Amino acid sequence: MRGTLGRFLLWRLAGAVAFVLVVSSTSLLLVRLAPGDAVSDLKLTAPDASVVESARDRLGLNRPAWQQLFAWLWGLPQLDLGTSSRFGRSVGPLVLDRLANTGLLAGLALLIATTIGITLGTASGAWLGATGRRSVGIASVALVACPPILFALLLLTLASGPNAIVSSAPGDLALPLLALGLPLAAVIERLQSRAASDALQLPHIRVAAARGVPNSRLVWVHTLRSSLSPVLGVYGIIIGTLFSGSVAVEVITTWPGIGRLMLDGLQSRDVNLVAGCTLAGAGMIALGNLAADLIRAVVDPRVREAV
Amino acid sequence: MKKTPAILVIFITSALAGAGWYYVTHRAGAGAGDDAAFGGLGGQVTVAYRSEPRTFNRLVAAQTAEDLVARLTQATLVRLNRATGEIEPRLATSWTGSPDGLTWTLRLADGVSFSDGTPFTSADVVFTFQALFDERVKSEIATSLLIEGKAPQVRAVDASTVVLILPATYGPGLSLLDAVPILPRHKLQASLEAGTFREAWSVTTPLSEIVGLGPFVMDRYVPGERLAFRRNPNFWLKDDRGRALPYLDSIELQFVADVNTEVLRLQNGQADLTSAQVRFEDLSALKALESRGQLTIYDAGVSIAPDMMWFNLHPASSTASDRPWLQDAGLRQAISESVDRSALVNTVFLGEAVEIGGPITPGHKSWFASELAPPPLNRAAAAQRLSAMGLIDRNGDGMLDDARGRPVRFSLLTQKGHTVRERSAAILQEQLRQIGIGVDVVPLEVRTMIESWSKNAYDAIYFAIEFDSFDPARHLDFWLSSGAFHFWHPRQTSPATLWEASLDEVMRKQATTLDPAERRRLFVEAQKVLAANVPVLYFAAPKVMLATSARVRGATPSVLVPHLLWNAERLSVADPVTKR
Repeated sequence: MRGTLGRFLLWRLAGAVAFVLVVSSTSLLLVRLAPGDAVSDLKLTAPDASVVESARDRLGLNRPAWQQLFAWLWGLPQLDLGTSSRFGRSVGPLVLDRLANTGLLAGLALLIATTIGITLGTASGAWLGATGRRSVGIASVALVACPPILFALLLLTLASGPNAIVSSAPGDLALPLLALGLPLAAVIERLQSRAASDALQLPHIRVAAARGVPNSRLVWVHTLRSSLSPVLGVYGIIIGTLFSGSVAVEVITTWPGIGRLMLDGLQSRDVNLVAGCTLAGAGMIALGNLAADLIRAVVDPRVREAV
Repeated sequence: MKKTPAILVIFITSALAGAGWYYVTHRAGAGAGDDAAFGGLGGQVTVAYRSEPRTFNRLVAAQTAEDLVARLTQATLVRLNRATGEIEPRLATSWTGSPDGLTWTLRLADGVSFSDGTPFTSADVVFTFQALFDERVKSEIATSLLIEGKAPQVRAVDASTVVLILPATYGPGLSLLDAVPILPRHKLQASLEAGTFREAWSVTTPLSEIVGLGPFVMDRYVPGERLAFRRNPNFWLKDDRGRALPYLDSIELQFVADVNTEVLRLQNGQADLTSAQVRFEDLSALKALESRGQLTIYDAGVSIAPDMMWFNLHPASSTASDRPWLQDAGLRQAISESVDRSALVNTVFLGEAVEIGGPITPGHKSWFASELAPPPLNRAAAAQRLSAMGLIDRNGDGMLDDARGRPVRFSLLTQKGHTVRERSAAILQEQLRQIGIGVDVVPLEVRTMIESWSKNAYDAIYFAIEFDSFDPARHLDFWLSSGAFHFWHPRQTSPATLWEASLDEVMRKQATTLDPAERRRLFVEAQKVLAANVPVLYFAAPKVMLATSARVRGATPSVLVPHLLWNAERLSVADPVTKR
């Protein structure tokens, strides 16, 4: 089993590295090849063309795009992500700093989403009566239908004024956490609700019920354990959604994460910064997927065998 | 009668004097004059700000963020009062000019020190001008300070006196000094000598190394997040009541990437100010908050930076040979006559704008010439002009065609995400369709648009830029054919057209004339040349609406940027948490 799992892990790891490199290289090339660059605005104010040219030289924009890509890739093993034209400092520390913030936000949002989603989902699928089930269902569908950007704006509006119940001060985690976590909790709740409802029909649950196992134990132990697989199966997708959703949420709520940094990079056509942020974001998604795959492989031998 | 002990008299007198002094210097709203706008000493103002400085070295960056940082942390010899348009003393407390206006002797304030305690002397002024015009520095603000293409000279008479020698008579006079922050020689001389001045004071420089004479010093910078300033304890100015300026303990710029977030931050009380004007679509919501006592809204006056539409008039552009009618003044005059300016004012600006036909608006104060009214709406006359150019409907589809049978159609680039510009461009598109001209509106990200402009790869652009002075002679880059902001055909080596040669001549004369009445007459003449040839089309100038939280006191709104922070040392808050 150890050999199979090791092979599985190696295979997935190689895929993850390739994914990260392809995505970040593509982002570098796209930013580089788009019209306009980091020094375009200098063309309005520079006293002469030599200032623009010297800035382009300094930022490596006078080199062909492929040369800049190879230089960037060459720096990767040495953990050198280049210098940001926007902030005038090394991209590596900038990205790491923001990645920690996004990691905190995404990690806590995932925790909240999982806790709320699994609990409410199990309750609505196997515990609550029709009214409770319907109420939870309506709330979840509304949240699922609401993109994080809209939900963040809605929360920010609710946080306005002296009687605000949520603090929206820059650096406060509450608002971005709710904006990111609640829609995901709704997604998990819907999945878990269906899975819990289906699990009630499983033979061993029915046998347990027939043997007189108390209803609370039947639902919160037996059914819960038997219904977790679908949620675990989409955890990789959920982690991807977390990072894409965090871009919008970070911008709206001014949370200093990788999403806002990425937007800054895109707006200022900062080739190295965009590539660095993409590398970090793609890396997190790849790691998340890897972790989810690994858990599934450990839990379900059929997944390992499929490799 | 028992005599009062002398010690008691002294004690009571001292107590009364102390109480009086405290009353005068600390009581909010006490007395008349500027105290009505005084909140208290101490506290912080938080600003939601959308741009971020790329350097802390003002001489090598001409963008608004660097200008704001310089205005907060540095001081100039004189300052343009952005509310009145008058020049007022700063580091120079008095000055005298020679009769020919070429030589100015400026007396510097005594006892002034930089924020690190180093005394300020005339050597710092001389050093600043040396750096400004050093060939290796290639300062981005130096070109706007050249007079007849030559740099002004500064020499020190003694430690407290400098002489400014202008290369030619200069109408705006000392107002050019408003753009020059005086830098510390003791901190920057080495980099100037080493030829690394352009790289000095970058955003990675430790903030303790960046010293200045301004009201604030930089305290903390988190890239992409915030830039905090604390009061400069060595700032030398005091208010009329002898209170040390600035009133505030700190100012914090919080960088927000999105205009909606900026407005929401103001609405929910997390920001006291925003960097930009209030969008007209947000005005009613903000007015509702004002009526509830949460915000204060200011009408600073009519903007001096209205949106403009210009065509590519570069002779080497593809339009010159492919569709020559795009460079014909007749087309631009027809457009000017056929656009219903009132529709723009009422729909885009919700009535909070005035109709204009040229770049000078009522916001330019005495430079505005009311006799130069925009052309009245006259689509029949516009159709005649177009017909005379050979642009007629040849296939009966309701749209005009040129002599080769191709539709009269052009692309109009504008700034993506700028709602006012996008809406204005859409209205222009609709109105021009009524006279048979097709317009393809292309919203682009600003850098892409600048790239198209710099490569002459465009038909027409709808955009605007900010100006930092009311005086037209401070913006010769726009008026002169050699100017970088002569948008329709910038940086000409010699005037491409007769009217541009004439415009150059009038504006050069205007800039080098000292008599205000003659300068105004010449400027009206220049505007007439521009109006006759309409290289740039103007339709409406909005009011500059600004907003602060209700706790902010002492705001002096201006149509010039930075609208509310140009006078930051006199801002205060009604509820300073930490009182001095």
